[in-house]
Amino acid sequence: MPQNEVITDLDLDKHKYNFVTAGKPVFQAQKGLSEEVVRQISAHKDEPEWMLEFRLKALKIYNAKPMPTWGGDLSGLEDVLDEIYFYVRPQDRMGRSWDEVPDEIKDTFEKLGIPEAERKVLAGVGAQYESEMVYHSLREEWESKGVIFDSIEDGLKNHPDLFREYFSTVIPPYDNKFAALNSAVWSGGSFVYIPKGVKLETPLQAYFRINQERMGQFERTLIICEEGANAHYIEGCTAPVYSSESFHSGVIEIIVKDNARFRYTTIQNWSNNMYNLVTQRAMVGAGGHMEWLDGNLGSKLTMKYPSCYLMGEGAHGEILSIAYAGNDQHQDTGGKVVHVAPRTTSSIVSKSISKGTGRSTYRGLCKVYEGAHHARSNVECDALLVNDTSRTDTYPYIEIEENDANVGHEASVSKIGEEQLFYLTSRGISGDEATAMIVRGFIEPIAKELPLEYAVELNRLIELEMEGSVG
Amino acid sequence: MIGELVEGLTEALNRDAVEQVGQGEPDWLRQRRAEAWDVYERTPMPTTRLEQWRYTDLKKMLALDGMTLGQAEAAPDDMEQWPVPLREAMALDRENACGHIVFIDGHVVHTDLDEALSSKGALLISLHQATEEHPELLEEYLATKAVPPEDGKFAALNAALWTDGVLLYVPRGIHLERPVRVTRWFSESGVATFSRVLIVAESASRVSYVDEMLSDDLDEQSLISVAVEVIASDAAQVQYVAVQRLGSGAFYQSVQRTLAQRDAKLDTLNVALGASVSRVDLNARLLGPGADSDMLGLYFGDGDQHFDFNTSQDHVAESATSDLLYKGALDGSSRSVFRGIIRVHKGAQKTDAYQTNRNLLLSPHARADSLPNLEIEADDVKCSHGASVGELDSEAKFYLMSRGLNRTQAERLVVLGFLGEVLSRLPMSGVGDKVRHVIERKLRGLV
Repeated sequence: MPQNEVITDLDLDKHKYNFVTAGKPVFQAQKGLSEEVVRQISAHKDEPEWMLEFRLKALKIYNAKPMPTWGGDLSGLEDVLDEIYFYVRPQDRMGRSWDEVPDEIKDTFEKLGIPEAERKVLAGVGAQYESEMVYHSLREEWESKGVIFDSIEDGLKNHPDLFREYFSTVIPPYDNKFAALNSAVWSGGSFVYIPKGVKLETPLQAYFRINQERMGQFERTLIICEEGANAHYIEGCTAPVYSSESFHSGVIEIIVKDNARFRYTTIQNWSNNMYNLVTQRAMVGAGGHMEWLDGNLGSKLTMKYPSCYLMGEGAHGEILSIAYAGNDQHQDTGGKVVHVAPRTTSSIVSKSISKGTGRSTYRGLCKVYEGAHHARSNVECDALLVNDTSRTDTYPYIEIEENDANVGHEASVSKIGEEQLFYLTSRGISGDEATAMIVRGFIEPIAKELPLEYAVELNRLIELEMEGSVG
Repeated sequence: MIGELVEGLTEALNRDAVEQVGQGEPDWLRQRRAEAWDVYERTPMPTTRLEQWRYTDLKKMLALDGMTLGQAEAAPDDMEQWPVPLREAMALDRENACGHIVFIDGHVVHTDLDEALSSKGALLISLHQATEEHPELLEEYLATKAVPPEDGKFAALNAALWTDGVLLYVPRGIHLERPVRVTRWFSESGVATFSRVLIVAESASRVSYVDEMLSDDLDEQSLISVAVEVIASDAAQVQYVAVQRLGSGAFYQSVQRTLAQRDAKLDTLNVALGASVSRVDLNARLLGPGADSDMLGLYFGDGDQHFDFNTSQDHVAESATSDLLYKGALDGSSRSVFRGIIRVHKGAQKTDAYQTNRNLLLSPHARADSLPNLEIEADDVKCSHGASVGELDSEAKFYLMSRGLNRTQAERLVVLGFLGEVLSRLPMSGVGDKVRHVIERKLRGLV
């Protein structure tokens, strides 16, 4: 088989995840975006006046900001935005217990393996079906500790003061065009509050699904990790395959207070017609520790750069990013670390694999403000190219205003070594298997940080994707 | 159209000025100037919204409006009357050179080339002389292949308004064992000066070119624009060195492009020590298999100096190599911008391309921005880049002080060692000594 021939249809995970449940949305706003739609969303959610005003202001900002001209190709996006529903609500109220969840939604979860996950004591499971939390459970133990793990809507309803104090403080609507869009039409997502000193052993998990053609999903997550608290949040996405374009634009805000530790793990495997434009950022206080573990495997185009703003002395930020771009995919990902306070440290490790006509781009920022003396930062990007039609780019920005800082950036690009392949195949291993082994070795430093079930899934994905990659 | 804004059209910079400067030139050249001016008019002034100009805000840093075109009359024939720093630099240069060109305020006042070389057909002449004696070379190469007006606002402005420049032509198989030197002196405040360098090295020829720019401190801002075109045919070996030591008040702007054909070795070194603002756009194009470019850069800033290097390595052909190393030290509240990109075009397999930028911040108010980029569209390549920003190696400094050096001496040595890595990669002897000498001079004035 010629080297650049690529298996076009791998049917990856189709049997497990590629299904459409015949759900009938209870409320669906009109197609496209207008002030009227924003008012409808807010009214439907029975929101306080300030939130409506916030949404309307954000809509104005969205309309005023030009479409980004950098990053991926967004030329097809305008048409998508005209066609999508900016709000879909699948059912009228939150299901408090498993019994109350409608059968077809249960069926969806069944296929996703959620009850199984719960049996494994995966603690509180907030699952997002369409645009809202429909199923939600929280272990009693956590409730007794004062941990809040709610849908974002319930967060606003039940904890209005706490919510308003932090909401939009990390990512204001004028941050970028898509943050503005999300601020105008957000729906669904999680609200998490970890009280001072509370340490959670088991991770908080949320499953996300998009299940309606042409439906945008604008999830909004707000996480507050109080002083000395310690927690891990996992979010994974799978999406069924549709024929028309789709759009996802989330905003994730995290506040990590002094000496707290927080890790946010996300793996997206959207179908290959998805535009996935996400803003995720954490503000880290003195001695705090924030880690983003970001995996991008699916979507048509992803633009996502998890960031850590190191605001307090000695804060630490870490970003581990892994991207896989197959045929017609563009993963424009990376990370940003902004050192504002002295003695802050950060590290970014990025690994990408481009195959077929796939393109992966690392885009990152390391900024050290004047006064952030003794800041240390290290960035490492490695790209692996599988075919001669694959493409990779690296665009790091390094901006240093402090002399008492040490910042390094290294990147390398390589293809799968013929010698490595030859060695493995001479030991009787097939070409595909050998390629998969090499790729697995390449991503191992990040994969080992993943929760077990994700690591297993990732390895399986690589095996499938590398079939037919060498000839 | 009435009222349409043309950016960069001033009382001094306009179509009349283009005609003025082209007076007495052949029609084809005047026509080219006019066409370049058309491009200039329709090209918007770069703003910080452009990636390549993100950190250099021309609105704040360049005041074209107040500038006139240089009015300097021909310099006195008597060298004794030339400025002392110019004569000093010339004296240093002349020892080890095979030819020499001297500019004063954009006009060539002196040229010489070893008889042995000119008799073999090598040319080192001013562009004015070339217009008369070798128009065929200018027609083919000047602002056509390497830096055409379409390259950008400044390339167009330069192509329309250049007053003089250098033509260095090396015939097939001719080796210039000693470097060609160019020394330039600028004295005028509040003027815009445009000049060009055209180096054409035929197959298997060999040449090294060193261009040094000097001026006093200028009361009013002057734009000093130099367009550089270096064309190396198959298996030619060319080294281009620019040493910029302009005074404060100078806005140095240089667009440089090198074209390397099969098995050509085309190396560049940009040394930036002076000027208030220094902007260099350097593009190396590797057009033939086996082509190789070493791209070196050195900068050392103090006060509120601003350096901006925008480099690109275009691997168009397969099996070519490029290796870039830019190192700088920044004191006071000076700042540097390095934006470099390696582009491996489709089909450029077996490319080896590297890029490194290292910065040393010597003061709490200094700033360095580094953007080393890669765009790779072939899979069988070896590419890497690295960038770092850090402080002076305190252990090295401590070690030197424990051996009896005072703090100043120790710091100077550590900086020199840091920058020395670049000089050690210069293949031609004589050039490195020269650069080391000017850096030491700047350090003495500094630390």
